[in-house]
Amino acid sequence: MTEMDDTASVVLNTLSEVLNKSTGELRARPVLATHGWDSLASLEVLSRLESGLTVTLDLRAYHAAHTVTALIDLVAAAATSNAAAGRRG
Amino acid sequence: MNDFTELLDGLRAAVAARSAPSPGLRQRLAGLDDPATVRRAGRILAELPPSGPEPRPIRVAVLATCTIGPFEHLLRATLVATGTQPTLLLGDYGTFDLSLAAGEIGGSPDVVTCLLDERYFLPREWSAVDPDGLAAHVAARFADLRGLILACLERTPAAFVLHTVPIPAELRDSVISWRARATVGRAWHRLNADLLGLAEEDSRITVVDLAGELADVAVACRDDRLHRYADLPYTDGALLVLARQVARVVAARSGLSRKVLALDLDNTLWGGVLGETGEAGLQLGGLYPGNCYQALQRVVRRLREQGVILVLASKNDAGPVDEALANHPEMLLRPQDFAVRAVNWSAKAENLRHAAETLNLAASAFVFMDDSPFERGHVAAELPGVAVVAADGDPAYLVRSLLRSGWFDVPELTDTDLKRPALYRSRALRTGFSTGFASSEDYLRALRTQVISHPVTAFETGRVAQLAARTNQFNLTGVRFDEGVTTAMSTDPDHLVASFTVSDRFGHEGIVGAAWIERRDRIWRVLNLVLSCRVFGRGIEFAIADWIVGRAREAGATALVGRYVPTNRNSVAAGFWEKAGFTPSDEDGTYTVVPATAPTCLPTWITDPETK
Repeated sequence: MTEMDDTASVVLNTLSEVLNKSTGELRARPVLATHGWDSLASLEVLSRLESGLTVTLDLRAYHAAHTVTALIDLVAAAATSNAAAGRRG
Repeated sequence: MNDFTELLDGLRAAVAARSAPSPGLRQRLAGLDDPATVRRAGRILAELPPSGPEPRPIRVAVLATCTIGPFEHLLRATLVATGTQPTLLLGDYGTFDLSLAAGEIGGSPDVVTCLLDERYFLPREWSAVDPDGLAAHVAARFADLRGLILACLERTPAAFVLHTVPIPAELRDSVISWRARATVGRAWHRLNADLLGLAEEDSRITVVDLAGELADVAVACRDDRLHRYADLPYTDGALLVLARQVARVVAARSGLSRKVLALDLDNTLWGGVLGETGEAGLQLGGLYPGNCYQALQRVVRRLREQGVILVLASKNDAGPVDEALANHPEMLLRPQDFAVRAVNWSAKAENLRHAAETLNLAASAFVFMDDSPFERGHVAAELPGVAVVAADGDPAYLVRSLLRSGWFDVPELTDTDLKRPALYRSRALRTGFSTGFASSEDYLRALRTQVISHPVTAFETGRVAQLAARTNQFNLTGVRFDEGVTTAMSTDPDHLVASFTVSDRFGHEGIVGAAWIERRDRIWRVLNLVLSCRVFGRGIEFAIADWIVGRAREAGATALVGRYVPTNRNSVAAGFWEKAGFTPSDEDGTYTVVPATAPTCLPTWITDPETK
């Protein structure tokens, strides 16, 4: 399994638990707004992704991610950038 | 599978089975430090349906000057962890002042928690060159809040929990002069001091020092993104700290405080193994690590001073332990400080069970501290109600480990709290005295028991309310009248609240019983009667019934009605009214006697010094 797969799995599972939707449903209908993606749900997902994956997400970019796929890409990019910073450090 | 997953799965299974999480799960939940996991636990527990009178149901309203957000799930999880069954009633966003001003807090909460943030106290615009003006505004806003809370208290029987507010960095750092910054800081500290002072104005207000707590834990207090975006002034980590404090207050107010601290000796109360090093080789006092053990003893002694009963639970030979406790020059806890000394080679679970019987307390009243994972595991498995504290690892953390969960918190210390260690030591001595009598009646007669009964005084309402909150076994109806209601009843001509005090040859037990009685139209109804488990088996309850019948007779009452409502803890009181001479009536669970013709049910071995 690649790092990207790992990240996708964490994002999907987190969304699934917070939004109370199966990962299958989220994959089939990836637009977050169709799943009760309100401000509190989105912030709970943000908090859990940041603490679970030790990343910090830019809130503007986070709110611009309207689909499951876009969110996975955003988190994966942050994780990569975080890892690169760790290697430099 | 990691621990978190296993714990969350355990909570899901409890929810699916529609049953409260087991004590073991609750204790693991209480030990979680990761706010994201606690939040997940709270979300899972939101689906838990009500499950009757146990664990203790509690209705908690949350009113906030900001977004409540994650506080809901964090609070629910921490309340469940402390052994309550919470229903949360969340105030709508932006209605904080309105709810307090109207005094209408929906859902009849037992406790109202106020989540406060700095914006409530600060003006939108303020001048950094006028720190005194800022201070005056903050003081005025506090006065507004105080007025709202005190007025609301007059219209609701609920207790309130507030908290101090950490000083915002923006407030402090946008003032560039050190002198003015000190003025601003002082104004903010005064605000927090004033908030804490509210607790002295009304016994139903508790104020948690959130600012102080956050100074002692490594969590960020604020996330500016969440604050700006969603009016969430605090991080999940800070909210977890607050939720834990609120849960501790709720648990203490619900009578769930622990009463007994059972302690191991070797590598817990002192360093080293007595059987190997001898008394002189123990690490106690002086430099590290001996100072850690002495610090623990000092804190334990302080707990005892406040009413916590101490029990020794050590696998050792009793003789050398007694000598070390009595003679070691650095020892702070002496033999007489322990109500029960279970020093032998039996299993500790067995010793604790025996200590619980001797003290007539449930395992759920016990906290057990031991350095051995085996002993802790065995006690946790055998006596799941016992709270277990680990004493292994670096002894520098012993004090923190014991105190961090607030097992012994009470809303307020009563006279009985202060006397409890001596009372229970007397009880343990009394158990020893009970051998050598031909019959239990001979023994009871030799005790020379006196029961003093009278209408409750203003000085006693706190203790009486505490008895109502804490008594589960001899609690005839399960109705828990709090201090406010008890005080109101005690001055109302249609009600009588009575307290019952016991003493015997071993000393005073203090107030051990209380009764709440309605008296209307010459009919007296006992709304509830509670009796401390400390005095079971001595006929005290019949002395109480006899006194109530006598007062009803004097008042010309035509009937006295008692009631018994079964709970899953009060079976010991089943049949009480009939044994006291009452007859079951048509109304379910009620029993009646005609005071004028009722025979006495006062046991022959009990006297009332006021009627003697």
